[in-house]
Amino acid sequence: MTARPRAATADPPWLAGLLIGAALAVAGVVLVLPLAAVFTESLRRGWEVAWEAIIEPDAVSAMQLTLLVAAIAVPVNTLGGIAAAWAIARCDFPGRRLLVTLIELPFSVSPVISGLVYVLLFGAQGYFGPWLAAHDIQILFALPGLVLATIFVTFPFVARTLIPLMQEQGQAEEEAALTLGANTWQILWHVTLPKIRWALLAGILLCNARAMGEFGAVAVVSGHIRGQTNTMPLHVEILYNEYMFVGAFAVASLLALLGLITLGAKTALEILSRSRMGSHA
Amino acid sequence: MITSAISRRASLAGLTLFAADSQARAQAPQAPQQLLNVSYDPTREFYREYHTAFAEFWAGQGHPRPRLSASHGGSGRQARAVIDGLAADVVTLALAYDIDAIADRGLLAKEWQTRLPDNASPYTSTIVFLVRRGNPKALRDWPDLLKAGVSVITPNPKTSGGARWNYLALWAWALRQPGGTEATAEQAVTQLFRQVPVLDTGARGSTTTFVQRGQGDVLLAWENEAHLALQEFPQAGLEIVYPAFSILAEPPVSVVDANVDRRGTRPLAEAYLQHLYSDQGQRIAAKHFYRPRNPDVLREAGSRFPNIEFATVDTVFGGWRRAQATHFDDGGVFDRIYRPGGR
Amino acid sequence: MSVRITGLSRRFNGQAALDDVSLEIARGEFTALLGPSGSGKTTLLRVLAGLDFPDAGLVEIDGRDVGQVPARERRVGVVFQHYALFRHMSVAENVAFGLRVRPRATRPAAAEIDRRVRELLELVQIPELAGRFPDQCSGGQRQRIALARALAIEPLLLLLDEPFAALDAVVRKDVRRWVRGLHDRLGITTILVTHDQEEALELADRVAVLDRGRLAQFAPPATLLEAPATAFVAGFLGEASCIPARLSGGRLESPLPGLAAPPAWPDGALRLFLRPHEVAVEAGPGPGLVRMVHPSLGAGTRVVLELEGHVLEGVVPPGLPVPERGGPCGLRALAATAFHEDGSRARLA
Repeated sequence: MTARPRAATADPPWLAGLLIGAALAVAGVVLVLPLAAVFTESLRRGWEVAWEAIIEPDAVSAMQLTLLVAAIAVPVNTLGGIAAAWAIARCDFPGRRLLVTLIELPFSVSPVISGLVYVLLFGAQGYFGPWLAAHDIQILFALPGLVLATIFVTFPFVARTLIPLMQEQGQAEEEAALTLGANTWQILWHVTLPKIRWALLAGILLCNARAMGEFGAVAVVSGHIRGQTNTMPLHVEILYNEYMFVGAFAVASLLALLGLITLGAKTALEILSRSRMGSHA
Repeated sequence: MITSAISRRASLAGLTLFAADSQARAQAPQAPQQLLNVSYDPTREFYREYHTAFAEFWAGQGHPRPRLSASHGGSGRQARAVIDGLAADVVTLALAYDIDAIADRGLLAKEWQTRLPDNASPYTSTIVFLVRRGNPKALRDWPDLLKAGVSVITPNPKTSGGARWNYLALWAWALRQPGGTEATAEQAVTQLFRQVPVLDTGARGSTTTFVQRGQGDVLLAWENEAHLALQEFPQAGLEIVYPAFSILAEPPVSVVDANVDRRGTRPLAEAYLQHLYSDQGQRIAAKHFYRPRNPDVLREAGSRFPNIEFATVDTVFGGWRRAQATHFDDGGVFDRIYRPGGR
Repeated sequence: MSVRITGLSRRFNGQAALDDVSLEIARGEFTALLGPSGSGKTTLLRVLAGLDFPDAGLVEIDGRDVGQVPARERRVGVVFQHYALFRHMSVAENVAFGLRVRPRATRPAAAEIDRRVRELLELVQIPELAGRFPDQCSGGQRQRIALARALAIEPLLLLLDEPFAALDAVVRKDVRRWVRGLHDRLGITTILVTHDQEEALELADRVAVLDRGRLAQFAPPATLLEAPATAFVAGFLGEASCIPARLSGGRLESPLPGLAAPPAWPDGALRLFLRPHEVAVEAGPGPGLVRMVHPSLGAGTRVVLELEGHVLEGVVPPGLPVPERGGPCGLRALAATAFHEDGSRARLA
C-alpha cells in the first residue's frame, strides 16, 4: 500500500503513512488478533476435538436454535424495517419524529435492559404473566421469548440502512410510476424495492449477523436450558464456564465464521452493486 | 427442543385441544416426560452425570426414559428466573434463602425444607482455601488470611451465594475465638474485604481470576469448586488448604409444586430428588466433591473429605432469612463495611 | 383535451402556494406556466397530475371533474424536471412501463407492447438506445426517453416540468423547437412549467404568469409584452427596468426626462417600466453614470447605467458615439408602461 496524497491539500506523505500504519495496527491488535486467537485456541488440541465439540448434541441444538431464531427475526425485521423506512422517508405524519427516535432505541439501551423489559411484560410476575400462564402459553424462557428479544435488538439494522437512502433518493420515480398508471404494489415491487435492493440486502445481512450473535438480551430471556433454549453465544459462555475451552472456542469459531461469511457476503454485494452502477455511468 | 415450544403453541389452537392435551399427559404416564432442574453454577458436571444415572434408574422402574435437562447460573439469578416463569420442575440451589424466595411467591410449599431428609440438602459442601503450590504465604487457617500483604480472591456476597458462605464462615470463626463478639467478627470481615483486589459476580468468575489470571494469594472457594480447579488445571500448581474450622454449606433441593402439578411431573420430580439420597446418588455427589450425607458413602470416600469442625447457618446465624437480612440485604453489615475503592 | 381550472387554492403550513387560480385551456393548446420559483407553478402542475390535492377549487379535464380521480387513472403524462427515469430498467423497459402495469384486461400483448415501444422511440428519434440504461444516456437523450415514456400511456394531457433546465444552453434551443414540433404533430394539450420567459414566450400559444400563487395574467406572448396586466408582469417579462415616479398636480415627476403625464390620472406614486429600446442614451454630459457597455450587432449599443441610484438599461442608436464606461451620459425616455398605485395602467410616450 502506498500513501499517495490525492490533492494538493492532502497531508504530507509521512503523516498519511503514519496514520494508515496506526489504523492498521489498531485494527490488527483490536480486531484481527483476538479473532485469530479464537481460531487457534479452538484447534489447539486438533481438528478432531474441535469437531467433536461442534457435533455434540447440545452444540448442534444451539446452532439449530440460533439459525431458527435468525430465520424468524430477520424476515420480520426486514418487513418491519421496510415499512418503517417507507413511512419515515415518504410520509409526513404526526409522530414521525417519535418513530425515528424509537427505531434508535434498541441501539441506545443496553440489550440486557431489552431482555428485562420482556421479563417485565411476559414474566410470571409481569403484566401479561398470569394471563399467559392461564392459557399455557410459554413466551419467556422459550422460543417466542428468544425471537422477541432478538427482533427487538436487531430491529434498527434494516430501517437505519434504508431511511437515509430513501430520503436521499426522494420519490420522483414513484410519482412518475403513479402517473403512468401503476398501483401501490406495482410501485413498491417494480420501482421502490429495486431502488433500495443493495442497501436492503446489506441491512438484512447486518441484521442477520447481529441476530445470530446477540448475547445480552437473549441471556436474560433464555433460561439457559441446555439443548433447549441455549443459543450459540450462550452455549459458548456455558462451555467456557465449564472449563471446556476447546469446545467453547470451537463453537465460538463457528459463530465467528458465520459472522465473517455474512460480512464477506455484504462486501461482495457492495463491490457487485458498485460495478453494476459503474457500468451504467 | 424447538419442536416442543412449537407444539406447545400449536396446542393453543383451541382451548379444548389444550385441555385434551394436558389430560392426556396426566392420564398417560407412559409418554416420555421432561424434567427441568434449575440449578446453580458449580453443579454442572455433577448433574450431567447424575442425569445419565437417574434416567437409567427411572427407565429401570418401568417408566419411559425421561428427558432431563438442566439450567445453570448464579443461584440468586436462577431463583429469579423461576419466579419470572422459568418452568423448573425441581430447583437445586446454593442457599435455602433462594428457595425461600420462590416459596414466597407461592410456587412451592413454605415447609419445603421439611419434605426431604437432612434439611432437604442431599449433599453438603464447605468453604476451603485454594493456594499456590508450596503455599508460599503459609496460609493455614482464617487468621492467616488477615495478615498484611495477603491478597484474597472471593466473589461479591451481594451477587454470589458462594461468597456469602465465605463471609459467614469467617464471621462464625471470629465469633468462636476467645473474646469473640459481633464487633470482632465485623472487624475480621472488614479486614478481609480490604484485602480483596477484585470482586467477581460469581464463583466461577473468581476461580478464573485466581487460576487463569494469576491474581491473589488465596481463593476462598467451594470445596468441590477447588477440587475441580485442581483437576482441570493440573499444570497451574494449586493446593487445597483445609482450615481447622469452616461452615457447613447445605445446598438445598425442592420440587416446584406449581410447575409439577401443572405439567403432571410430580412423581418423576420427587423420584429425581429422592434418588439423590440413594447410594448411587450419594456416590456421584462424592465423585464430584460434594460431601455425601450417607455416612457409609462418606467413609468410602476416605481421605477425599478431610474431617473438620463445622458451624451451621442455623446455629450461628439463626437461619438463612436472618443471615440474609442482617448481613447482605441493602443497608446490611456488608454494605457498611465494604466500599468499592475505599481502602 | 380541454382543461378548466376554477378557484383553485392550495396552502402549505398556512402559506398560500395557489390562491384562487382560474384558467381555461383549449384542446390542443400549448400553454406555459411562467413564474419565479415559489410562484406556485409546480404546485399547479402537481394538482393537475393528481400528485397533490387542492384545498379548494375545481379541476376539469375534458369537462370531467377529476378531483376524485387518482393520479394513476388520470392519463396525464408527466415529464419530470430531472426526468425521474427508472434507473434499474432499460430505456425500452422505461417506455413500456405504463403499458405493462395496466390491469390484465386492458394490457396489450407483449409483442404489441414491443411494437409500441419501438414506435415511440422512433418518434423521439432514439431507437438505438432501447437496450441501454438511463445512466448511459446524455441529458438530451434522457429527456426524450422521459417524453416517450409519458406518451406511451396516450395521455389526454401532457405536463412538462422545467424539461429543459437540465440541458446545456447549446442543445436547449434545438430541443425546444423539436418539442414544439412534436406537439404540433400529435396535437396533445400540453402544459409547460418554466421559470424561463424566453422559453415560455417562444414555445407557448398562451402563457399564464403566476405571481406568489395568484394568476397575474394569462395571454398570448405578444399581449404579455405589449400590454402587461400588472406591474409584476411588466417587470418579470422583457428585461424592463423599473423607475419610481410621482404624479403631482397633473405633472409627472421623474428622474427621467421625455415622458408626458398620463391624462386623467389622480395624483399619487407611479412605477415606470422601460425596456432597453425605450431609453435613448447619448454620450456626453448628463445625469447618467455608465456602468457597462455591451457592443452588439445592428440595433445600437446596449448600455447599463445608473440614474439617481436606479439601474436601468438603454440603447445608443446606431451610428452615434458610444459613451465610456465610468463616464457620464445623457438619456431620454422614448416610451414607458406606467402603473399607478391604484393599479391602473397606461402607455406613456
